[in-house]
Amino acid sequence: MNTILHFPKDGKPSFAPNEWQTLSWDQDEGGIPDLQHGASKVLMPFAWWIKHHKEQDILARAKAGQIGVWFAADDDIQKHADLIEEGKALWPLVAAHFPIFRDGRSFSTAALLRERFSWDGEIRAIGDVLIDQLLQAARVGFDSFQLRSDQNVDVALKQFDLFSVTTQNSWRGKRTTSTI
Amino acid sequence: MYKYDYIDQTLVDQRVIQFRDQVERRLNGTLPEEEFRPLRLQNGLYHQRHAYMLRVAIPYGLLSAKQLRMLALIADKYDRGYGHFTTRQNIQYNWVELEQTPDILADLATVEMHAIQTSGNCIRNITSDAFAGVAADEYVDPRPICELLRQWSTLHPEFAHLPRKFKFAINGAKEDRTILLCHDVGIELKKDADGKLLADLYAGGGMGRTPILGSLIKQNLSWQLLPSYLTALLRVYNRFGRRDNLYKARIKILVKALGPEEFARQVEGEWAHIANGNDNFTQAEWDRVAKHFTKPAYKHVSSVSKEQLIEQLGSTDKAEQIAFTRWLERNARSHQVSGYALVILSLKPHGVPPGDVTSAQMNAIADLADQYSFGELRATHEQNLVLADVEQAQLVELWRAAKKQNLVQPNIGLLTDIIACPGGDFCSLANAKSLPIAKAIQERFDDLDYLYDLGEITLNISGCINSCGHHHVGNIGVLGVDKDGQEWYQITLGGEQGNDAAIGKVIGPSFYADEIPDVMSSIINTYVAQRHEDESFISAYRRLGVTPFKEAAYANAKKKGLADQAAIGGAAS
Repeated sequence: MNTILHFPKDGKPSFAPNEWQTLSWDQDEGGIPDLQHGASKVLMPFAWWIKHHKEQDILARAKAGQIGVWFAADDDIQKHADLIEEGKALWPLVAAHFPIFRDGRSFSTAALLRERFSWDGEIRAIGDVLIDQLLQAARVGFDSFQLRSDQNVDVALKQFDLFSVTTQNSWRGKRTTSTI
Repeated sequence: MYKYDYIDQTLVDQRVIQFRDQVERRLNGTLPEEEFRPLRLQNGLYHQRHAYMLRVAIPYGLLSAKQLRMLALIADKYDRGYGHFTTRQNIQYNWVELEQTPDILADLATVEMHAIQTSGNCIRNITSDAFAGVAADEYVDPRPICELLRQWSTLHPEFAHLPRKFKFAINGAKEDRTILLCHDVGIELKKDADGKLLADLYAGGGMGRTPILGSLIKQNLSWQLLPSYLTALLRVYNRFGRRDNLYKARIKILVKALGPEEFARQVEGEWAHIANGNDNFTQAEWDRVAKHFTKPAYKHVSSVSKEQLIEQLGSTDKAEQIAFTRWLERNARSHQVSGYALVILSLKPHGVPPGDVTSAQMNAIADLADQYSFGELRATHEQNLVLADVEQAQLVELWRAAKKQNLVQPNIGLLTDIIACPGGDFCSLANAKSLPIAKAIQERFDDLDYLYDLGEITLNISGCINSCGHHHVGNIGVLGVDKDGQEWYQITLGGEQGNDAAIGKVIGPSFYADEIPDVMSSIINTYVAQRHEDESFISAYRRLGVTPFKEAAYANAKKKGLADQAAIGGAAS
């Protein structure tokens, strides 16, 4: 399924075509990916960015809005706070990867991006993204989701308003328990 | 006790709807078992040896009579007429059908109960002192903090898929009745000179394969700051806890690998960014919760002495007098309020699986709670139930009523008050059975005079290294192990819960199931022969060391082994 489920902070969930191609680290051929033929916007591994971000042609592409980065579950984003601060002015979106649906590290990555780095752009969930993670992911800070291709889109759309109350704060709002 | 408002009620009702949909997708084949598994676990549903098992939360052990009647109803309607109180203040049903679990949860929701986070790699049901709010040795009533953290941890999105399960215990009394140091996080509450409520936090404790006592990582934390500090702590664990090896994924392994100081430093580093954020609890939130933990309408009554109670018993039957006196001494405890007592109903009558209660007993216990204890109960981690507010003048009446239900075995804290997991009879993780071992030991030590003379000894049995039976902290621990497809049992000695918490040490090679009663006798006989006057088992063990116990245990087993060999013609074992 090459569509993306978008659920903006104060909006409604909807599907839209995917404009971004996600490349993996082993596709790194040393320099900038070909952005003239095929995909014009690419999500590159953060580790790739660490290695290549000083190259002028790459910086130019990034400034043109053609490069975003994705964080692997074991990327320690706090170790590279400076790069992320710089990236805020460059990347149109970032993504965090779920190697398997039950690996919750990227929940903390998204929470840190929102809280610590005040990232207010899009954060996309990629990898093994299933219907039953959507609500949690949406609450920690994700606002777009590349669902695994076998997931039912109608069921997916229903996930976000399952609960009308919350008992801890989230990126989307304060806990109901603090409003009394 | 805490009463749900519309927020809590809406949340559990909507959780039922969510789970019903997940079960439907599982049943219609769109949600494969592998992906359903963590979802059902986070709702307390296990798949066991014979059937599904549902674990229902009894948050910090507190239960109303009305709730207990619902638990009885569920046992009858969906299970086989009984339930099993666990070692973490939950109740389990062993024979439920997947299709019916949403209905069970809907029934539970009508009495403000649920099964949320009783399993899975998330923050589990929070446990606390079963005597909270009434114990004579209490500094701080832990229940408001328990409830605030129950709510804070419920459906916490960031910590829904931790590397492994995560257990909180909270204590506010001088004597620790929570096994605080064997939890992923133990929170010790206290008050400073100005009466401000503070918390000390211990992290990285746990039983299982690598038993470790928790380390003190934070002192004097204001209660309001618990959510931000715990967020920082859990975030460090979520990000850096091991996920490559199931057996090394608990926080204790991370704390041990980093060292408690370094772990604490990393948590502080994370916390520095969020300590002043709006995650923290407010006074309004405290008030919303704490208003429910008021004292019941105690009467102004003077205390009643043992002699007065025996007189009230009015029995000339010596045996009855002894039975009652023993019950009074073992199963009743001192209370904060004069003229009141707390009473432990023993779920360890000899020969019944520890913690098992029939629906008829549950209904009867609910009646007892209504009649004698303001309609409330507590579940203990030792798998007994507590009536926390009994007027001393009613103890005789209560004893007579509870006796009819087989709930007055005067063995609390004694050798046959065995903590045991369901073991290989039910659990698919188990290497060996626990319940027949518990039964055999209770049968061996069925003489109450003798038990009483032995005094306090804790005996805990786990059917596998996951340690649900808390064998590591039993004075005597029994662990089921699998050797070449056969069930063997390893013995540990010297474990203890409470303020002097300690992990027991393995005494040597494991035994056959049928050797265990003799091994127990050898260990107990050694104690009896060598104890000083009024010396408890654990004190004697600490003075004598393991050697005499070990020698006695193996001397007997060796004799028996030789006899067995002779009987089968000297074949090598």
